[in-house]
Amino acid sequence: MSHTDSLGNFRPKDAPEYEDVLQCMRCGFCLPTCPTYALTGRERSSPRGRVALARAVAEKKLEFTGAVKEEAFFCLDCRACTTACPSGVKAGEVMEVCRSQAHAFYPLGAMGKTFREFILQRMLVSPDLLEHSMLPTRLYQRLGLQWLVRHLGILKLGPDWMAKAEGMLPSLEKPLRPQLPEVVPAQGEKRGRVGFFLGCVMTLLYPQVSRQTVRVLSHQGYEVVTPKATKCCGAPHLSEGDRQTARELALFNLDLFLSQEVDWIVTDCAGCGAALKEYEEILAEDADHHRLALFRAKVRDISEFLAAEGLRTEGMKEVRRSVTYHEPCHLCHAQGISNQPRQLLKAIPGLELREMAESSWCCGSAATWGLKYSEESRQVLDRKLQNVTATKADILVTANPGCQLQLAWGVRQADMPQEVRHLMEILGEAIPD
Amino acid sequence: MISKTAIKHLKEKLGEKNVLHEKEDLLVLGYDSTPGVHHLPEVVVYPTSTEQVLAAMEIAAREGLPLVPRGSGTGLSGGSVPVRGGMVLTLTRMNRILEIDEENLTATMEPGVITLDLFNAVAAKGLFYPPDPGSQKISTIGGNVAENAGGLRGLKYGVTRDYVMGLKGILPDRSLITTGGKSVKDVAGYGFKDLLVGSEGTLGIITEVTVKLVPPPRDKRTFLAYFNDVRTAGEAVSRIIAARIIPSTMEIMDRVTINCVEDYVNIGLPRQMAALLLIEVDGHPAPVAEEAAEVRRVLEQVKAAEIHVAETAEQAASLAAARRTALSALARVSPTTLLEDATVPRSRLAETFGEIERLAAKFKLKVGTFGHAGDGNLHPTVLCDERNHDEMERAHAFYNELYEKVLDWGGTVSGEHGIGLAKKEYLARQIGAGGVKVMKRIKQSFDPEGILNPGKIFEDQDSGAEQHLEEGFRVSH
Ligand SMILES: Cc1cc2nc3c(=O)[nH]c(=O)nc-3n(C[C@H](O)[C@H](O)[C@H](O)COP(=O)(O)OP(=O)(O)OC[C@H]3O[C@@H](n4cnc5c(N)ncnc54)[C@H](O)[C@@H]3O)c2cc1C
Ligand code: SF4
Ligand code: SF4
Repeated sequence: MSHTDSLGNFRPKDAPEYEDVLQCMRCGFCLPTCPTYALTGRERSSPRGRVALARAVAEKKLEFTGAVKEEAFFCLDCRACTTACPSGVKAGEVMEVCRSQAHAFYPLGAMGKTFREFILQRMLVSPDLLEHSMLPTRLYQRLGLQWLVRHLGILKLGPDWMAKAEGMLPSLEKPLRPQLPEVVPAQGEKRGRVGFFLGCVMTLLYPQVSRQTVRVLSHQGYEVVTPKATKCCGAPHLSEGDRQTARELALFNLDLFLSQEVDWIVTDCAGCGAALKEYEEILAEDADHHRLALFRAKVRDISEFLAAEGLRTEGMKEVRRSVTYHEPCHLCHAQGISNQPRQLLKAIPGLELREMAESSWCCGSAATWGLKYSEESRQVLDRKLQNVTATKADILVTANPGCQLQLAWGVRQADMPQEVRHLMEILGEAIPD
Repeated sequence: MISKTAIKHLKEKLGEKNVLHEKEDLLVLGYDSTPGVHHLPEVVVYPTSTEQVLAAMEIAAREGLPLVPRGSGTGLSGGSVPVRGGMVLTLTRMNRILEIDEENLTATMEPGVITLDLFNAVAAKGLFYPPDPGSQKISTIGGNVAENAGGLRGLKYGVTRDYVMGLKGILPDRSLITTGGKSVKDVAGYGFKDLLVGSEGTLGIITEVTVKLVPPPRDKRTFLAYFNDVRTAGEAVSRIIAARIIPSTMEIMDRVTINCVEDYVNIGLPRQMAALLLIEVDGHPAPVAEEAAEVRRVLEQVKAAEIHVAETAEQAASLAAARRTALSALARVSPTTLLEDATVPRSRLAETFGEIERLAAKFKLKVGTFGHAGDGNLHPTVLCDERNHDEMERAHAFYNELYEKVLDWGGTVSGEHGIGLAKKEYLARQIGAGGVKVMKRIKQSFDPEGILNPGKIFEDQDSGAEQHLEEGFRVSH
């Protein structure tokens, strides 16, 4: 059996697995689900094309060229292709791995390094620093983003990205983490002990959402432990191709949560949930398999958790509104959770769920993608907003802070009447005080 | 090598973003869904109008570049692979439905329209376009016409050819042609519309298609029957036909396929069963009820292990959707999936299954089989690893012997995927030297310079085009 060198032109560390790309039989089923293919109609910006590029690099038919790097970052990592692929190919994940390869082949310039060190490796790994930066002034200024924009050609952020970033920020409350008691007791008959994984964006930008999550969990009979030491899940680092820092964060959170003796680890951030569920893969070589499996078995998205455990509905208040539900990519595609949020919405008395077309089509936010490719992001978002408008629902519900930011911004820009809410805000409304 | 001026001219005529020539773009347009074939084109163009197709053709001819039409590249015989390099002309940006004519029951469109989009657009007007290849989510109408694609409803409703009423296109000598149209009857001159259907991109580039629409069936009943051995399933098919019933769908999957599909769709297909048949009868309510009763009777007679009836339209649709993923799902099992298109007279179906089992054992291969059982059109699929040359040799031998039998039984080497690159040698065996000669003469009269999709269907030594193989990619096939 003649083997092609499994790494080919990839750097040995953090390279895609050759078997993963060989699995693609080029049937094209993924093409109609890919937002970047819909934007460009260009084969190399499709999952099938991207896998073919990775395969060509692995087979030494292509160097890891600038175009490969471009595709790795142009991919939204929305994973719609993973859901669509009958052969089990994960083009989005292959591209995520390629992002760290890109850094090996195209080392960051001084400014890019500064960005990486400052934001990814300093701010995002330290909840204290992040929160303090929020207090005196707006997030983007204190994070040094303004400074970076002026100095940073290398990231090729879209021209109007700063205005957009500023426009996206909701009016800020105080971060939630310092306010939240480390242990909130269960109400009524106790059903278990839940470790709550509070995401960075949640505590900073949407404290009211996670406050509801904890309240709902407690109302439903769970003791809620929110470890103050929790660090960023690592998703932003994976997305920027900084797999090393992602691994360090993952190791830290793994130890922290396993030491809490909780029955489950629950989060209300789809992005965090997806990252936590992938610790098993990220840490495959860095942590004990048994502990990884134990951790993985406990992680649940809040909607997945409540739907499986069964919602206690007695005494729930009516919410007389109509809603439509946008599925976050990191919930439906990365975690395969699609029905559960709808189940919860349907359980709320008085609430009417109106399905939108293409509910699982990406909203165009995708971490910093929406800032880097602002024009393209706008087009992806417009398609979403049209589908929302057609439902004439009062409220647009989602379950991920990135989507919420992008959708709320879009709705404001387009002067649409919808409120944009997290699933847990709506559920919280129905839960009596 | 394509010249800089040619690229410049192409960009002038087609627009900057419709002409691609970076290595990365060429790499990803050198394949279709056929395993083991990959050849780089020199340039890729995406025309958006007939005029642009013509302009691209003129430039290709001037430069002496082979010209390869391409839809979505879901073909399974290598039809849109540029074996001699040259220009790949992708039609996916010509994707407008131009008209749905409710009085004449026709639809007219550009060739890049996705099959499922056409289906949905006409369904929204209460009409029905029956051809539905397994790849309908992404294959193009142009590709369907060029391959004369079949589908899951082929048994009762026929294949693409039965619905093509008119075509517009450009022949290799750059003449624009119109053949057929909206008239239901048309016997003016040679029927070369029918020659273009199934011509695999070797006779002309199709730029507009008019298809016939029909009223949708009023009612339907979907059965799922499981069997303890594959041959009994084959027998059930023969007996249903013998009972004078023509279901719209009669699809088969064997155990290997059932398991791969179930891994993907998770709808509770029983993994231990040897085979399943998906049977659908449709039409007016009264005959549907009668036919359904008859189908059930036959299934009971042959002792199907389990018989289920889909309870809702969604359930029926999800079963058909699951069947459509069969081939791609088989690709989970092994790095390479080599699929064939063996088609036999229906009465031979059970024997064909026996033969597939025997040969799989003889050559020690893992084979999954599924297909359009009602049409006698099976897709035995060898699950292998293209890095294992010995295994590839055995796969080749397996198909050789299988086709020997299929031809003995009066079958064909391709029910729907075409000859392309993959089955040139078998074609000669099926139709004989005389048949190949006539076909070559036809090709010659359409394409005297041999510029359109050279190297397909049969060897065309006289074309003079240079062999442009990318070493290392070809596997024995
Ligand atoms: C999972 C899967 C399931 C499938 N199921 C079926 C099935 O059930 N039945 C079936 O018949 N096939 C099936 N196929 C095969 C394939 O989908 C069909 O052959 C389809 O018609 C090809 O369409 P395409 O747009 O992808 O064309 P391509 O693969 O791009 O091209 C096919 C051929 O058509 C030519 N061509 C394309 N467009 C034009 C044009 N406008 N003018 C002239 N020539 C043109 C090309 O040169 C090539 O020779 C399946 C394939 C896959 C991957
Ligand atoms: S990634 Fe999956 S769906 Fe896409 S072409 Fe490959 S096998 Fe098909
Ligand atoms: S992850 Fe999303 S953007 Fe990336 S290839 Fe898959 S479908 Fe396309």
